[in-house]
This record gives sequence, structure tokens and C-alpha cells, in this order.
Amino acid sequence: MSAAAALLAYAVVVGTGGAALLRGCRWPQHAPRLGVAAWQGLSVSVLGALVLAGLLVVLPGEALSNGLAGLLDACVLAVRAQYATPGGAVVHVAAGIGTLTVVARAGYFLSRGLRQSRRGRVEHLAGLRLTARRDATLNAYVVEHPVAVAYCLPGRRAGVVLTSAATTALGQDELAAVLAHERAHLRGRHHFLLCGANALAATVPCLPVFAWAATEQAALLELVADDVAAQGGTDLAVARALVLLADGTAPAATLAAADREPLARVQRLLAPRQHLGLLRRVAIATVLAGTVVGPGAIAVAPMVAATAAQTCPISPVGSGSLSELSGA
Amino acid sequence: MREFGELEAAVMDRLWSRDEPATVREVLEDLNRDRALAYTTVMTVMENLRRKGFLSREADGRAYRYRPVQGRTEHTADLVAQVLGRSEDRAAPLLRFVEQLTADELSRLRTALDAAGPGAPPGADPRGSRP
Repeated sequence: MSAAAALLAYAVVVGTGGAALLRGCRWPQHAPRLGVAAWQGLSVSVLGALVLAGLLVVLPGEALSNGLAGLLDACVLAVRAQYATPGGAVVHVAAGIGTLTVVARAGYFLSRGLRQSRRGRVEHLAGLRLTARRDATLNAYVVEHPVAVAYCLPGRRAGVVLTSAATTALGQDELAAVLAHERAHLRGRHHFLLCGANALAATVPCLPVFAWAATEQAALLELVADDVAAQGGTDLAVARALVLLADGTAPAATLAAADREPLARVQRLLAPRQHLGLLRRVAIATVLAGTVVGPGAIAVAPMVAATAAQTCPISPVGSGSLSELSGA
Repeated sequence: MREFGELEAAVMDRLWSRDEPATVREVLEDLNRDRALAYTTVMTVMENLRRKGFLSREADGRAYRYRPVQGRTEHTADLVAQVLGRSEDRAAPLLRFVEQLTADELSRLRTALDAAGPGAPPGADPRGSRP
């Protein structure tokens, strides 16, 4: 029981405080791929903690304990004492329903997100192919339109789309930068990552970690694509392309938190490039690995403690005096 | 099928170029100036387009006359609007290069770029023409 409670506490603390900590960090700006991995690791960790907490309560304490104890040749009762859950059937059923709900919701939102995303893309592509022409030099679709826009269509029939206004407004270098940026999104299958992040955000709305992971990953993936584009050309070309393509007529109603992103991207590209040192990377990776493994460790910790205990209680669960026998 | 896709584009192109609705035969004759097609092929394509909502038809005696539901520019404008309208929807099927901004945000961007120092202004090379 203590393990399940600890896991729930872990999920809440890491899911709010831990997430807030990562959100306030500056280093993901200089290592966006590692930043994306950090958010993914954090999400997996918190989700894992929730599911494990549920499982530990649901699984018949005795069968679990017997199995584990047999495996480790430990004192059965000591192990059982660690994992038994007071409250009887009601608690077991509630935990079971809770765990199943989380897992089912995750599956539902993920499949629905993927399906809707795919349907939207297929419809868009069908409409696009009626008016767009395929430009062989650019290896992209071009549509006649007075506003300069560039985007990519991920999926099976992946491609980059430019409006005619974009092809005239952008210079050679800037065009190359835009194409490289969009292709980086396609090669990295970024739409899948974002679909997954959004599904998690919908699954557990009460913990901020998942919603933040979705928005932060979306922003960081733009930085990843910017870096790939800058590698092939220059930071300045990408920055100039950003300024040119942001030149649209956005009605005030569509402004979201994302409106500060283009400015942040331009500033980042124009500032001298900062790299994350190897030592810092290793430190971050270690913390990340610890976070991912954490819930598992918490789940088995009582068992390990019971194994290490030299004494064996004569009666199972419950406070009160237990006389101790030596040996297992 | 890939050939149908290309044919669909050709049919829409012809219908958009005309001012008035056309029958299958009229479109067939128009297309057959460049290629040899069967009547049934063109009819299937036009019916597909109607089912997908791009064409509508009205009876004209014994034949049907087809016309595009939207003009070419509106069709494209709708497509682009799908891309632009999704600033909040992170699960968008499309990933656009950058959000469209208001004039205020845009001037901040330009200031940042200008502050970066000299260098050719954006778009200035034989390929582009800055309005």
C-alpha cells in the first residue's frame, strides 16, 4: 500500500512541480532534441507511476507477494505486509477501474487523434491536388495564392507546400531554408510525436505535465527543424524566411500563446549559437533516465526492503505487536 | 489511382476555365484534344468529383450539366485557410512554417532582424521581388 501511495505522490509531485521545473529551464533552447526527449521521459514517468500505482492495488496482494517472495526466497509475510491493501474489495475495484480508465482513455485519444489527423490530411491533399502543380526543381507543391505560406503535409503522401506568393517573396537561400525546415519535420515524423503528446494531454487533464509537454514539444520541434535548416544554409537565411512568411494578415481572433514563438525563433537564430557541454548533457540524460526508471524503482522498493529484512512477522498485515522471529 | 488523380485535376481545370456548366461529352471533347479518353472514364471521374463535393450537377434534358461548387480561387483560399486557421490546434494534420502575425508582432520581428546588422534585405536577389 505504501508503494502505491508513494507512486501517486510521485505522480503528483513530478507531474506538477517537476514539470514546472523543466518548463522554466533554458537549456532546451540550446539542445531542443534533448529537450523533447526530456518531456517525453517526464510524461512516460508520470503516466507509468499512475498505472503502476493502480496495478499494485489491483493485483491480489497475496498472489503478488507469494510470487515475489518465492522468487527471492524471502519471508512471504514480510513481503505481503508491504503490498497488502487495506479496505478490501472496494479499494481493489476502485483502483482497477481507475487504472483501466487511464489506459483506455490513452488508447482512445491516441487512435482518435491519429485517425482525425489522417483524415484531415487526406482530404486536404485531395483538394490540393486539384489546383496545385508539382514543381520539379523545388520538389514541392505550389498553389496560386496571394499570401505567402509554407507548410508540410506529413503522412504517406508526404510533401511540402508553398503558395505562389511564397516562391516570389523568398530569395534562393530563404527558399532552401524553408524546404529544409519542412523536410526535417517530415523525416523526423514530428506529427506522430505531437499526436502522442496531445493524446496524453487529453487522457490526464488534471496533471499539468501532459498539457505542457504537448505545447513545449511543439515549440521545441520547430527549433529542431530550424537547426536542421540552418545547418544546410545559414541562421540568417532561416531568420529572414521566418520574417517573410510571418507577413500575413492574421485576424486578432486567431492569436494564441504561439504568437511569441516566431520572435523567439528569430532571436535565437540571430544570437550567437550556444551549445550544451558534454558534462551537462550527461547530467541531464542521467536525471532523465532516473525519472523514467523511478516509478519502477518505487514499486519494487518495499519488496527489496522486505528481502533485506532479517526478521519475519508471525502475522500478516496490520499494526499492533508482532513478535519477531529470527531468520526467514 | 494515380491516373485518376491527374485526370481529376485536368477535369477541374477545364471546368474552372469555362464560365458555364458542362456535360460529360463537352468535357470529354475538350480533354480529347490532348489525349484519348473514353466517355465512361471521364464520366466516372466527374461523378467521383461530385461525390467528393467538388462538383454539382443539374439535369438538362437527358444529360447532366456539371459545374464546380467553388471557383478556383475560393477553393485554394479554403485550403490555405485550413492551414492558417489552426493556431490552437496542435494536432493539426499540417505543420506550417510559421504562424501568421499581426502588424504589431511583425514589426517586432523586423526590428530584431534589422538589429542583427547588415546583410541583404530579405528576398533581394534575382529570384525574388519584394513588394
